Amino acid sequence: MGRIASEDGAPVNSHITLRSLPAENLRRKPLRTVALIIVVMLLSVALFGGSLLSINLGNGMRSMEERLGADLMVVPQNSAQQAEALLANGSPGTFYFTEEAASAVAKADGVAQFTEQVYISSLAAACCASKLQIIGYDPSTDFVIQPWLSSQFDGEVKDGQIVAGAGVNVSSDGTIELYGRTWPVVAQLASTGTSLDNSVFINRATIPSMVEASAQVSHRVMPEQYEKKAVSAVLIKVADGYDPHTVAESITKLDPSYKSLGFVYPGGITSSAKASLGSLVGYTAIFVAVLWVMGVIVLLVVFFSSVNERKREFASLRIMGATRGMLRGVIAREALIVSLAGGVTGVALASLFVFPFSSLIGRQLQLPYLQAGPLAVIGMIAVSVLCTVVVCMGASMLAMCKLARPEAYVTLREGQ
Amino acid sequence: MKNTVFASLPSVILGALIAIVPQTFAHACMGHATFGACHYSQQAATGIGVVILVLGIVSFFVARPMRVGINIAIAADALLLIAVPNLLIGVCKGQMMHCRMVMLPTLTVLGTLTIICAAAAAWVESRPKTVRQ
Repeated sequence: MGRIASEDGAPVNSHITLRSLPAENLRRKPLRTVALIIVVMLLSVALFGGSLLSINLGNGMRSMEERLGADLMVVPQNSAQQAEALLANGSPGTFYFTEEAASAVAKADGVAQFTEQVYISSLAAACCASKLQIIGYDPSTDFVIQPWLSSQFDGEVKDGQIVAGAGVNVSSDGTIELYGRTWPVVAQLASTGTSLDNSVFINRATIPSMVEASAQVSHRVMPEQYEKKAVSAVLIKVADGYDPHTVAESITKLDPSYKSLGFVYPGGITSSAKASLGSLVGYTAIFVAVLWVMGVIVLLVVFFSSVNERKREFASLRIMGATRGMLRGVIAREALIVSLAGGVTGVALASLFVFPFSSLIGRQLQLPYLQAGPLAVIGMIAVSVLCTVVVCMGASMLAMCKLARPEAYVTLREGQ
Repeated sequence: MKNTVFASLPSVILGALIAIVPQTFAHACMGHATFGACHYSQQAATGIGVVILVLGIVSFFVARPMRVGINIAIAADALLLIAVPNLLIGVCKGQMMHCRMVMLPTLTVLGTLTIICAAAAAWVESRPKTVRQ
């Protein structure tokens, strides 16, 4: 009769109790245990990763809808695409009307509210910062940016001051360098998951100083005669009962030259982004569902075959006095250990990729992507681990039903 | 032999990845007039990767107690790898810069995986081996 000893000859305690039996069973069958943990881990990765991705995309979409507060955007001729790109994926751009249009556009039928904005693209900095979108807005008429700013910045943006988006690199002394000049940053906004994170907001009265600064370091971003009256876009909120397309049509009827104006419908951008988001979330859900069905089938097969090959082991335990309840407890605890190990590892593995790469994921998807808050993440972790535990325990219990039927003695003598 | 492979192979693979990845897709930002912090982080990460790779190869040919020590050293190197772009040298501050979006998370993930693998290997190798007498 052999005995178990460590390498240096000291005896190792090989006494096994009913409580330590599940862990011992798993330890003695490392291949089966690892295979089961991997299956459960894959289920957990798919559920947690897929759900978090969908939640973050949903957050980004809501944030985008909240920020695009206008129904219609009137932009200069041939600038509609640039304006759409600016709203949708944050490609910085500079464009402006060369003649007075805003006040005339406001006279169109169905215009409830209007405001003017100026868009200037900053220089691509030589080192360590990307291009920024400079947005000049008129605080006296604004209904798009101000409500959002006031929720996070309690004060007025004075001439020469800047409010920076979440993604903007603000130096430790609270300033930012644009066109070779240092500008004071009075507030940095929370992340929105949209292109506005890479924008800076200034009072429209600051635009001439910004243009002058650009003239001193590179080329002047707009001619001197436009710097005080420059308007890049007229943002319109349509009156109740009016469709933005109808209002756009009435604008073109004001003057024959207005037919060439560009019209951007932020609602349309949102709906096209929503459609892309819907299909992406749909495919993710299908993928997760298929993976879960396959995973559950694999778990059932593994548990059934495991119980089948352990019939004699369980029959021996029954003969030694273990009740059916005790055996169920052993199987259930084995399943619990496997599901917890797989579930937690899966969540950790998915977290290792979803959180650090969130900026990259957002950029690659070309959709608004806003990281969920800690409470939502903790909730998703709990749900993912719970689902894997329930599925694993359920599969093991189903397999256990099969074992519960025959008598122990008959099982032990099977095949003899 | 099984334990040797478990204790050494992950370090070889991860060390090679850490050495190669910063020089390929997870590179530092391009277009610097002078080298920025991300460039030095990239070079340091490659050096640390080579050290992890060499330690991984060496651990194939040494005794168990030494493999424990080597894996502790690998874990310490991986900790250094995480600290280089996050604390010691840093990367560009712009949120949308390639080094911040790709290089920093890639090195952090590879470093974390290396620490987990090395810690697991050190634990497995430090346990008393049971033999049936």
